[in-house]
Amino acid sequence: MGSIKVEQMKKSFGQKEILKGIDVDIPDGSFAILLGPSGCGKSTLLRMIAGLEEPTSGSIFINDQDITYSEPKDRDIGMVFQNYALYPHMTVFKNIEYGLKIKKIEKNKRLNMVNKVIEMVELTEHANKRPGELSGGQRQRVALARAIVKRPHAFLMDEPLSNLDAKLRNQMRQELIELQKELQTTFLYVTHDQIEAMSMGSYIIIMNNGHIMQKGTPKEIYTNPANLFVAQFIGSPPTNILSYGDYSIGIRPENMSMKEDELNVNDDYVLTGAVVSTEHLGGESIYCLTTDWGKVFVKGESTWQTPTKETQIAFSKEDVLVFDKSGERVRDVNLVENLLADMKVSNNRREPVVL
Amino acid sequence: MKRIKSVTVLQHFLLIMMSIIAIFPLYWMIISSFKNESEIFTSSFIPQAPTWQNYLYAFAEMPIIQMLFNSFVVATLMTILQLSTSLLAGYALVRWNFKGKLLIFTLLSLTWLIPFQAVMIPNYVLINQIGLNENPLGIVLPFAASTFAILSIYQSFRSFPTALIDAARLDGESDLGILLRIILPNIRSTVISLGIILFINAWNEYLWPMLVTKEMENAPIQIGLKSFVNSDVNMWGSLMAATTISCIPILLIYLFLQKHIVDSFVRFGIK
Repeated sequence: MGSIKVEQMKKSFGQKEILKGIDVDIPDGSFAILLGPSGCGKSTLLRMIAGLEEPTSGSIFINDQDITYSEPKDRDIGMVFQNYALYPHMTVFKNIEYGLKIKKIEKNKRLNMVNKVIEMVELTEHANKRPGELSGGQRQRVALARAIVKRPHAFLMDEPLSNLDAKLRNQMRQELIELQKELQTTFLYVTHDQIEAMSMGSYIIIMNNGHIMQKGTPKEIYTNPANLFVAQFIGSPPTNILSYGDYSIGIRPENMSMKEDELNVNDDYVLTGAVVSTEHLGGESIYCLTTDWGKVFVKGESTWQTPTKETQIAFSKEDVLVFDKSGERVRDVNLVENLLADMKVSNNRREPVVL
Repeated sequence: MKRIKSVTVLQHFLLIMMSIIAIFPLYWMIISSFKNESEIFTSSFIPQAPTWQNYLYAFAEMPIIQMLFNSFVVATLMTILQLSTSLLAGYALVRWNFKGKLLIFTLLSLTWLIPFQAVMIPNYVLINQIGLNENPLGIVLPFAASTFAILSIYQSFRSFPTALIDAARLDGESDLGILLRIILPNIRSTVISLGIILFINAWNEYLWPMLVTKEMENAPIQIGLKSFVNSDVNMWGSLMAATTISCIPILLIYLFLQKHIVDSFVRFGIK
């Protein structure tokens, strides 16, 4: 129903440049996530798409229509705020109805629309309560219903789950995914939580410091990070980085394995390290080890045991990510090979190389 | 345990003393209004020969009901005008970004420092030229905007969650709609509290109404009270009777809006 396109978007508050030339093209019907650390400009970008903030320069298109300077109400978007932003003096019903009333939609039709949406978000029995009488999850549903009832081209969501507890957050995540499938409408969802991003998004835009660091599907972002920032931002614990001269070598914790004795064919390289701490998470465990190359995290199957003696940490060549001095990914295979050879690593040998 | 008890006893003692200090003048006003002329300067706490004479004289001497009505009209008009202008100004100052905003805000704050006596004469000349002498509007218009009210509203608007305003803008609400239908219902108690303070201030206004009105029929009650005390004769008994009557409307407001009044004193500081 609505594609969102942002071209060369810049925004400054006084001397401070918040967005430094953003280009985004969100295909119609996708569940897009704007992901980045606090203060990276993602909420500002969302607010500009909503029309709540005016860009310093650049253009915004919804369904190929230039809406850069349109009033928020003329953009045909629904927005869900972090603090829900429900009108405290109105009942749930009135909160949802308010926008339609202003649009002067005929009363019977209006009541019909509101009732339908209230049913959809399962709040029928709370319709006459005020927001203050509802739980966090219920308030979130009202906020959603208020956006849904307008049947917008696109939904904008600004960290809508951040005020909920962990359990409810998981549940709402699933509900949002289902809702998006049901509505078949473009969602643009802002979060700083990479787990939310990876689990919900069909398209992820990672921002840092007013720039876009990478755009793509969760799989692309995870398996093929474009730069050091993305490699470290996505994944928990973050990608291990070993510095080598001007370059940084990244290996994800789950691509490393701890070997007490045998190594296998795929184990191209080996580090030795001693475990300093362990987190047993049930299904898996995260080990933190100190090596000659610094601290390294390894994620593995849970053994409920903490190795005490020095162990070997093995990883294969395919899983190595190389970044240059500026943090950009080095994709030149030869350069990577040479670099690894430089590190006195040879991958022609059957025997793994001890780094 | 014993210490806590002695602290509460001390607290109560202090509170009782302060209450006496606050209530005593009112009590003295009421009993004096029932004392006859020979008794008025005695220190008896209860009138020996209670009399309605002072009230009858006060009612005969001046149009008290008319003057109470004048006071009520003036105070109500002034309160409504000051609330309206402060709501509009507060909204503009908080929500809009325009050139000279800081300058306007600073000038506005500075006007608070200018004593009324300094602008009294120009105001008087202006009201005179417009021909609003002897008219409630003449009393009200120079006070249509109050810096105190604007700054108070400004503060409460500033702490109003912007997300609610953003949500209303997305719903298609206009600026006036946001002010009246979103902000106002949620800061109702602040506005009521402020309104009460403004009303009491307006009710107690003396100097300016005295300048604008010469005729008793057009003057608010505070002017009438003064007429009992002049260089020739001091009618203390009748003054107390008229003052007691003039306090009744304010007392009624206190009775009905007690909760809001306490709130307003806490919110804006006792004025």
